[in-house]
Amino acid sequence: MTNVVDLDRVKKNYRRDKFDIEVLAGVTFTVPEGGFVALMGPSGSGKSTLLNLLAGIDRPTSGGLSVAGQDIARLNESELAQWRHRHIGFIFQFYNLIPVLTAFENVELPLTLTRLSKAQRKVKAETALSVVGLGDRMRHFPRQLSGGQEQRVAIARAIVTDPDLLLADEPTGDLDSKSAEDVLDLLVQLNQDFGKTIVMVTHDPRAAARAKTVLHLEKGRLVEQEAA
Amino acid sequence: MAIGTLALKNLKRNKTRTALTLLSVASALLLLCLLWAFLEAMQSVEGADDTRVVVRSAISLATLLPEAYWQKIRTIPHVQAVTPLNWYQGTFKDDRPENFFPRFATDPATLFEVFPEYQMPDDQKKAWAAERGSFIAGKELVDKYSWKIGSPISIKGDIYPFDLTNIVLRGIYTVPNAPVQERQIFFHRQYLEEAIGNRGLIGTYFLRLDTSDSVPAVVTAAEKMFENSDSQVRAETEKAFNLSFLEMIGNIRLLFGAIGLAVVISIFFITANTMAMSARERTGEMAVLKTLGFGGGQVMSLVVIESLAVGIAGALLGCGLAFGLVGALAKAAEKVFPVFSTISMTPKIWGIGLGVGIAIGLLAGLVPAIAASRLRIADALRRV
Repeated sequence: MTNVVDLDRVKKNYRRDKFDIEVLAGVTFTVPEGGFVALMGPSGSGKSTLLNLLAGIDRPTSGGLSVAGQDIARLNESELAQWRHRHIGFIFQFYNLIPVLTAFENVELPLTLTRLSKAQRKVKAETALSVVGLGDRMRHFPRQLSGGQEQRVAIARAIVTDPDLLLADEPTGDLDSKSAEDVLDLLVQLNQDFGKTIVMVTHDPRAAARAKTVLHLEKGRLVEQEAA
Repeated sequence: MAIGTLALKNLKRNKTRTALTLLSVASALLLLCLLWAFLEAMQSVEGADDTRVVVRSAISLATLLPEAYWQKIRTIPHVQAVTPLNWYQGTFKDDRPENFFPRFATDPATLFEVFPEYQMPDDQKKAWAAERGSFIAGKELVDKYSWKIGSPISIKGDIYPFDLTNIVLRGIYTVPNAPVQERQIFFHRQYLEEAIGNRGLIGTYFLRLDTSDSVPAVVTAAEKMFENSDSQVRAETEKAFNLSFLEMIGNIRLLFGAIGLAVVISIFFITANTMAMSARERTGEMAVLKTLGFGGGQVMSLVVIESLAVGIAGALLGCGLAFGLVGALAKAAEKVFPVFSTISMTPKIWGIGLGVGIAIGLLAGLVPAIAASRLRIADALRRV
């Protein structure tokens, strides 16, 4: 089984005024294809930074970083954008749907970067919305949906391009427990039924328990790795 | 759904702000188009042939010059023809502004030499020259009053203490591309002279030169010729002469230009600020778009298209309003200020209005667009 994620002593420092702040202090781990990893840790432990590195929206200070078979540290901004589009699906804590677009249009949005015809985009977007159980809410705007429904639209948007890796940043952090359960069920379904590789940042032990592997970060170091 | 569609949908996000920005652009362009239309109307009033020079009293327009100057001016090198024009005020029908039109006493033999663009059949020229109590009128004026060859008119004098009584229309002239010039009449200077007791006085001399290059030399020669006389003269191009009437109320051209520029610059900053605010509010969304794989150029075009759409819509609205207003002004001017009745939204003004709207839209969107394209996703997402 190939690894979708392969980190080798990845370090990330930020410069704030005169100070160099170490956020990740040499993190090494892999995620195999079809893996479901939960990243846990206190605030400031480097979880979100790690997720940003995996998504190619931030760059490591040093270390090896291969995602979906690509050493992404070598890509320039334009190549990274294209690479992200092809290989990464990102799920945000606060959904981050475009409010002026309907659920369908939000899901269709990443497909507008492809050469697919309008009809092909329609089929894919409708399929993705059906997978997340919102086939009947396609013409609704985000403001007309509940938080759980919005997050499911965001998940449909993340999977519509059939990416190699789904990255979820606290996907249940803004949801009530029922909606959170639904979203976690969906992520598990995507992992188990569709073979999607998922890396999820969470504070919630119940959410982490749904992953196959849980990684604990503290002060930028991986302190514990356990099977859920 | 293309990036353009998303940009246009974004405009509906804050409808009040979009509407107010659009109205700001529209009002600025309305004003700009109006000012420009006025400037163009002034240009047409100038109607000026650059081979014509006007010689008048150096003291004022109301001061007349000796008739003897006529032949002397004729001797200045490069002068090909000279014709006298005396303004005759008076009242036609009543005091209503719509019944006002310029009237000049002139010399039928030389008028068409100095104003070759005035076209009139030879038989009418002869008939006018032969009859001292006759006049000629421009076609537009003739049409307005339904005059016919042979129609008599009377004008009650005010500045001059005599009336033009039953002078007869003997010729109808046309001036291609200058309808304003067709709204005046010319009658015999001799008729005026006899009425005021043959005083031999002339208001202005209009000179036709061989080429426009001769203008400086003729102007200098004319002023020098009479500098030691009792009646010193001022010589200037016809264009400068015509403009001097309009500029009696100040340097309109400069004033209009300054107002237009100030308004456009203000609106540019207002629009730029609004677009920057709008883009700043959506920093997180732009970061999300970039996370989804949209490139810097695409995010940049999103902001620019949005700003451009406001600029174009504002320009269309502003120019459209100006079109309506200019039409109304032209009608109103016919009655009270005929020289401005030619005011119109020419294709050039439409082009300027739309061009400025597009420029405002593009430039106002450029700074926030560049900022959006350079946005660091991680930083922006941290702020969401």
